[in-house]
Amino acid sequence: MSAGRFVELRDVVPRGIAGSATITSIGAGTTLAELEVDPQIPQVLREACAAAASPQLRAMGTIGGNLLQATRCWYWRLGYPCFLHGGDRCHARTGQQREHAIFGNERCASAHPSDPAAALLALGAILRTDRRELPLADLYRLPTEDDRDLTTLSTGELILELEVPAPRASVYLKAMDRRKWAFPLVGVGAARFVDGVRLGLSGVAPIPWALGGPEELDRATPLPGTAYKVEIARALVRRAVDAV
Amino acid sequence: MIELRVNGGVHRVDPAVGRSLAETLREDLGLTGTKVACGEGHCGACTVQLDGVPVLSCITLVHTVRAREVTTIEGLRDHPLVESFVRADALQCGFCTPGQIVSAAALVEANPEPSRDEIRHAMAGNLCRCGAYPKIEEAVLTWRG
Repeated sequence: MSAGRFVELRDVVPRGIAGSATITSIGAGTTLAELEVDPQIPQVLREACAAAASPQLRAMGTIGGNLLQATRCWYWRLGYPCFLHGGDRCHARTGQQREHAIFGNERCASAHPSDPAAALLALGAILRTDRRELPLADLYRLPTEDDRDLTTLSTGELILELEVPAPRASVYLKAMDRRKWAFPLVGVGAARFVDGVRLGLSGVAPIPWALGGPEELDRATPLPGTAYKVEIARALVRRAVDAV
Repeated sequence: MIELRVNGGVHRVDPAVGRSLAETLREDLGLTGTKVACGEGHCGACTVQLDGVPVLSCITLVHTVRAREVTTIEGLRDHPLVESFVRADALQCGFCTPGQIVSAAALVEANPEPSRDEIRHAMAGNLCRCGAYPKIEEAVLTWRG
């Protein structure tokens, strides 16, 4: 790797877990490995962390960084001049699709790969940056003609902390190509609160996707190569809701 | 100039900003037991321990290591796992083996009698393209001989 300058963030981003019975605070510099085994962390987030990446990456990777993971879309990664890169079309929509989106995919069909983000959406986590506090859902946006960014972070804005309410029950289920060290084809986080069950999905849209309920799957807009994901999502959502 | 603590010794090196721990170990310190296969944090061949925790040296910038203790396969040459990998015939080409043993050593240090599921979870980041997984699992299960 070469660059004029590298900035080490480890000393300025909080790391660690602190909690009460109702709310857990997580420093953005906390690693997935630390979250995976901490009993204060709701089950859905522990399971999502355990199912993400590899042990070595979980020991290095932080929750703040994980929320900003880039897509696995092969056109984007290979540097095609696609919509997300500022071009005028999404190559995946007319080309090879498989790991791509079934929601929010009109302009860009990439899929967001973060398991923990889906879990945190289900939990209704609140995010604190060095400038503002916002629901996690508001960290993300679908790309538009004028702005191809997938997040609402400003240049230089730093994610510092997450606040996670304690659910009555929660679970994370994940379909992948192999049982370990694979990105989600579909991931489903479900968390039950007093007012009902909240669902967060990974691998189904360019951003982590909050699903209002199982019936919203009827309004999915799959591509020919991603239609199978709708069936997987139906099965996982049903199982997840049953489990909580 | 930085000081790097590797396998119990201290080395003074002066790597360029952006140099990886793997490059430093292999090219500056001559510790070529650490292998680089994918070079992008996927395969686990370059696994070393930082304060006992397996990490990927190919995507660890050497300047971020600071005072932490680095353990490479050379530091584990007398570990019983080396013998158990031989006994279980747990390799074909052997290129992933240093990383496999570094990960397994951290596992059995924390959990001396891991179950098959625990082995699969802890070793999931060490890919073996020869497909020696059943024998690697056997080697870790029987590491104490």
